[in-house]
Amino acid sequence: MKETKELSQEESLKLITEMIQKAKSSQFNENGTSAILWGSVVGFCGLTSFAQRYWHFSIGFDVWLLALFAIVPQIFIGVTEGRKRIVKTDIEKGLDAVWLVYGISIFALVAYLNIIPSATESILKAENIELLQKNTLTNIIEKRAPITYSFSSLMMIIYAFPTLVTGLIKQFKPMIFGAIFCYACFIISLYTTATYDNLMTGLVGIGNWLIPGLILRNMHFKAKQ
Amino acid sequence: MFKELDPILHSQLRLAVISLLIGVREAEFTFIKEKTNATAGNLSVQIQKLKEAGYVEVTKQFKDNYPLTICKISAKGITAFEAYVQVLQEYLKPT
Repeated sequence: MKETKELSQEESLKLITEMIQKAKSSQFNENGTSAILWGSVVGFCGLTSFAQRYWHFSIGFDVWLLALFAIVPQIFIGVTEGRKRIVKTDIEKGLDAVWLVYGISIFALVAYLNIIPSATESILKAENIELLQKNTLTNIIEKRAPITYSFSSLMMIIYAFPTLVTGLIKQFKPMIFGAIFCYACFIISLYTTATYDNLMTGLVGIGNWLIPGLILRNMHFKAKQ
Repeated sequence: MFKELDPILHSQLRLAVISLLIGVREAEFTFIKEKTNATAGNLSVQIQKLKEAGYVEVTKQFKDNYPLTICKISAKGITAFEAYVQVLQEYLKPT
């Protein structure tokens, strides 16, 4: 293609259409490796867990640990595919943000499931409370691991989701920092009682939405002027 | 009376570059070179002209120790392209 060529209006329109079509055809870089990886791992773990419970046998370790180890090849795939990519569309940037936040959310949920029982036990111990379970048939009373869930903590993972995705797509730092603040409050809330969980939720509302929202509004009015 | 077509965009290679970039968020120099079939030297000159007009943003970085040029259409570039297409449509409208 030469720069000096004189273009007619028809040729200009034809060229624009042709180039937009070429750009469109380059937008399908996703080869499905990540989906295949997670589909295989989660499918295998789920079916193995079911088989262990249904046929009463044990493989000797928690099969869901495989899902945790799958994060390593996922990082490798992400880095490799990112390096190969020579064009990046808005859709790809959006999808990258969604998958990244999904990864953080899964990691946060795993942390939640592992930390909450021991943290709750410590809180109850401090209040001189111990959970017991009684078998009504044999009358045997045994100690029970607390399974009290922290609803506010779970909600904080969801609260951060749209804020971080929007922040990453729009490259709007107050929203990115707001979501990071939300994750920090989530971690603290794992170790605190329901009273302080509510305090965290209030702070998250302010840091995750209110402050970025006010900054956004300010910028909007400034741009309008 | 027809409006004049933007001289920065009314050139084969520059229009091709802008049309490509309007469809993607950002693209490497090699991608643009491959899709436009232009020579590296000619493409560099035309991208520089688009950059000087404020229609594209050019970022230079390194990838595996090799220099990497990434081009991205700017807000001004998008507005200019839309205006260009509008004027083009007026020209091509049956009278």
